[in-house]
Amino acid sequence: MHILRKAVALSLIAGLGLAGAVAQAAADPIATRQAIMSSVGAAAGLGGGMMKGEIAYTPAAGKAAITTMRAASLSYGNFFPAGSDHASSDAADAVWNDAEGFAAQLAKFAVAAAAAAEASGKSGPADIDAFKAVFGPVLGTCKSCHETYRKQN
Amino acid sequence: MKKAVIAALVLVLAGAGIGWGLSAPTRMSAQDAALLKVGDAARGELVFWAGGCASCHAAKSANGEDLFRLGGGLRLETPFGVFVAPNISPSQADGIGAWSLVDFANAMTHGTSPDGENLYPAFPYTSYARMSGTDLGDLFAFLNSLPAVEGKAAPHELGFPFNIRRGLGLWKRLYLDPAPVIAAPESGVEADRTLWERGRYLAEGPGHCGECHTPRDFAGGLVLADWLGGAPAPTGEGKIPNITPVEGGFGSWSAADIAYYLESGFTPEYDSVGGEMVHVQENMARLPASDREAIAAYLKALPPVGTTSN
Repeated sequence: MHILRKAVALSLIAGLGLAGAVAQAAADPIATRQAIMSSVGAAAGLGGGMMKGEIAYTPAAGKAAITTMRAASLSYGNFFPAGSDHASSDAADAVWNDAEGFAAQLAKFAVAAAAAAEASGKSGPADIDAFKAVFGPVLGTCKSCHETYRKQN
Repeated sequence: MKKAVIAALVLVLAGAGIGWGLSAPTRMSAQDAALLKVGDAARGELVFWAGGCASCHAAKSANGEDLFRLGGGLRLETPFGVFVAPNISPSQADGIGAWSLVDFANAMTHGTSPDGENLYPAFPYTSYARMSGTDLGDLFAFLNSLPAVEGKAAPHELGFPFNIRRGLGLWKRLYLDPAPVIAAPESGVEADRTLWERGRYLAEGPGHCGECHTPRDFAGGLVLADWLGGAPAPTGEGKIPNITPVEGGFGSWSAADIAYYLESGFTPEYDSVGGEMVHVQENMARLPASDREAIAAYLKALPPVGTTSN
């Protein structure tokens, strides 16, 4: 009984925490998009590390890197509402002044990530060469967007 | 009384005369000019990438073959006004097709045009002044092998007093110095001297790293005491990072990290290159691996500036 009560209390707290995080996504688009971009950075670090041979390749790790990119490419662009160009953000004015160009860059990212996800199948690209062939083009879309739509840093 | 007025007038005129004399555009000596010769275009292509010519003189988002069409037109919006990159294609009428090699070398190393006008240092001759005669001769041969692009670029948009080219002569006396900035590798840093010297040549000369990565004083001159220590972005938003080996900052990058970044555009944390550095990185990626290693060796042996990066 005592244990059950504790479990209910814990799940309630967890639920509240989740609700809080969901509310934050709507209320704090800057924190949300920064969290998404740090997941992109982590996926690039994993994928890049395997491509460089610093991390041993496994199809599961390849798939984790690719699906992270895929999810980010679909969601990232939704967190740049007008007026969210705060000093704490690295987003350049061009994100809003040239929304069309920014959308085109996001589309390039999404297309490359979708192709990689498609090619990776159920259990991920079989070997490092198969992974490189699809993950390389995803990494290739980073700098064309960062050239214009991120503040110099 | 009359004598005093005359004396004052003489002093004013003498002052103006000295100012006029000091602001005169300079040119290379006849001996140096005589040593120049038009070189090899294939080698000149590497100098072209090292110097980043296309980053300003090709069209804004040029790629592939369009990087060789140097019609100018890029607008550099700076605190001094808007500089518009000129046409440096071999067009006789609109570019530099009518220039001699000595004209070209005077522009590159003295900031002086064939007509004897001072050029604005948005064109980084303050760095190019450190380039070798061989590289200038090779680059000249390569530039002349590129397609002629018709049409002059728009004029600069500058307010007083920056619109007076003559005044730049004084500026050049203060800030144009072809001597190396860094005399030797920082003591205590293991550096292969030949590699380091090649890195210094590339970074301080054609690569013109200091033009963005070093802060400027009120007159737009580089503050050499803070060499490569980071600065506000000269155009656009944001800042240019400190690339000296400071603890807690760029110092954590190994030489291999730096060379890999220049080749691939990825930092050790797999963040990507951005902003104006994208062009620079893509240019550096076209150089031999040994040149990227040389730049890395030079940066690792710099005196650290400040205590934190960025």
